[in-house]
Amino acid sequence: MIIAKVKPLEEIKDMVKDYPKVLNVGCAGCTAVCLAGGQKEVDTLNTQLNSSFKADKVSFQVDGFTVERQCEMQFLAELDKIAGQYNAFLSMGCGAGVQFLAERFPRIPVFPAVNTSFVGVNKDIGWYEERCSSCGDCVLGITGGICPVTMCAKGLFNGPCGGPEDGHCEVDKDIPCAWVNIYERLKEQGRLENILKIFPARDWQNQIQGKIILEPYKKRYIK
Amino acid sequence: MTTPEVKSIDKEKIKDILNDKKGKMKLSLFVCAHCGLCAESCPLYRAHDRNPEYMPSYKVINSLGKLYKKIKKLDRNFLEEIKELIWKNCVLCGRCYCPLGIDIPSMIALARGVCRSQGISGVYPHSLGAPEEDFPEALSHIGVSEKE
Amino acid sequence: MYDFIRGPLMWAALVIFVGGLIFRIIQMFQLSKKKERIFFTSTSSGEEQRGGDYSPEERKLRWLVSFSNSIMGNYPILTIITTIFHICLFITPVFLLGHNLFLYESWKIKFFSLPESLTDIMTIIFLLCAIFFILRRIIVPRLRAISSFNDFLLLFITIAPFLTGYLAYHQCFFNYKTMLTLHILAGEIMLMAITFTKLGHIIFFFFTRFHISSEYSLIPGSRVW
Repeated sequence: MIIAKVKPLEEIKDMVKDYPKVLNVGCAGCTAVCLAGGQKEVDTLNTQLNSSFKADKVSFQVDGFTVERQCEMQFLAELDKIAGQYNAFLSMGCGAGVQFLAERFPRIPVFPAVNTSFVGVNKDIGWYEERCSSCGDCVLGITGGICPVTMCAKGLFNGPCGGPEDGHCEVDKDIPCAWVNIYERLKEQGRLENILKIFPARDWQNQIQGKIILEPYKKRYIK
Repeated sequence: MTTPEVKSIDKEKIKDILNDKKGKMKLSLFVCAHCGLCAESCPLYRAHDRNPEYMPSYKVINSLGKLYKKIKKLDRNFLEEIKELIWKNCVLCGRCYCPLGIDIPSMIALARGVCRSQGISGVYPHSLGAPEEDFPEALSHIGVSEKE
Repeated sequence: MYDFIRGPLMWAALVIFVGGLIFRIIQMFQLSKKKERIFFTSTSSGEEQRGGDYSPEERKLRWLVSFSNSIMGNYPILTIITTIFHICLFITPVFLLGHNLFLYESWKIKFFSLPESLTDIMTIIFLLCAIFFILRRIIVPRLRAISSFNDFLLLFITIAPFLTGYLAYHQCFFNYKTMLTLHILAGEIMLMAITFTKLGHIIFFFFTRFHISSEYSLIPGSRVW
């Protein structure tokens, strides 16, 4: 899921200091699970902001409201009634949610309170690791479930670079070499011939906004 | 740990939230034919051995339905009781299908909104309701300065 | 008694039914609003999904998959029985000879009728389907979990007109006049119940599945809640 991390307090304060009444919009989806932007985090941040601005003698009030998910308009609709009371929004959802919020309320400035970091996994409470780069062309089936784009520092597709030492990457000794791991994994599964496959050069252009419209629903949206 | 005093709930706020969607909520609760056809569409129902407590109509009727009926005698304990039903038994994936066209996810979202307005919410870490005492550092990562 | 239910109560039932129908329809339109359609012009992006020309085998496979995940795929027996139930429910009263004679006597409206033997059989089938529903509601655990007295009451209200009509026609049990009175009364109660109870799913179904735009609407709807 999407993992995000809360911005430092100073940065958030700097964003909202000119707006006397702010609504902090939380998200009960991904950012709640990674403990960055759920209800409790919204409440905590609000307490910090209110007391911090009070100490600075700046007139400021922040209220909180958590929606189910900020990436769906039907949940953002809950804010319609109260939006008018605020000068600005602070969003603790991921970047997609912040943008949807801004789209729904184009006249109200929206500020992100978290840094959306990566698509990753919960290794344990408070410990999140990136696993996927959303490259759009998944090869996990061939590499035994280890992503060469994400886990290899150089994103290599055709085997290790010759730099690994003791199974660790030459870029950073703490990172295991992804291709060594891929080799071990495929060996365990008896599929080592996969490693002999040569991948052609990839098109890494990721300039256009990704868009997927599922086939069965296309008819609804085409003019 | 001393027993926390049970805070009373703000019924006016709850009524406001419900009034906003009153028409749709009443219509949906009223039209539900109790046909049970929504069950198979819920992935949690299928994953939990077809336990009726995971059936979408069961979840809505026993959370929002009861909440609406008991609105005058509502108390915090009831909200805590339905917490599991609407957070643990439902992930709001939106796959539930009603042959009559009732918008089930929005009903669950409404119930969640009511609970959230009173400070009751599904808690992460991942056991629902894990007390914060188990995680003393919980939330101390919010509002830290740059020089951590 | 007969005159009362034949006269004033019938008008009352009709008024309540039509009035309730209009009320519910207006309510549903008020609770929803026109949706802002979002469109995209046909894209020329290279990696678009399949253009829609599938081979016959693929077509069959896709149909099979969507069928097995549909309601009919999950509950085949129930789907068949409820379809038969609803067909009999609507066709029998509308095309019944007895009703249409009555209509002709009262308002000189001629209406097509089915042969009586056929409507007789349809009534029996209807009653059998209804018994199936009652048993299902008692036996199946997930239905037991959400069923209440109201559900059984409404089933009974739906069955009553058909049962009493059948008994009246065949003149079993009580005398004809009594049975007929009960039949008309049952019919009126059912008409009145439609707008006040979940029997209103008739109206709701057509509104939400055809007008409201959602993932499961039968046509791309033009309204949202």
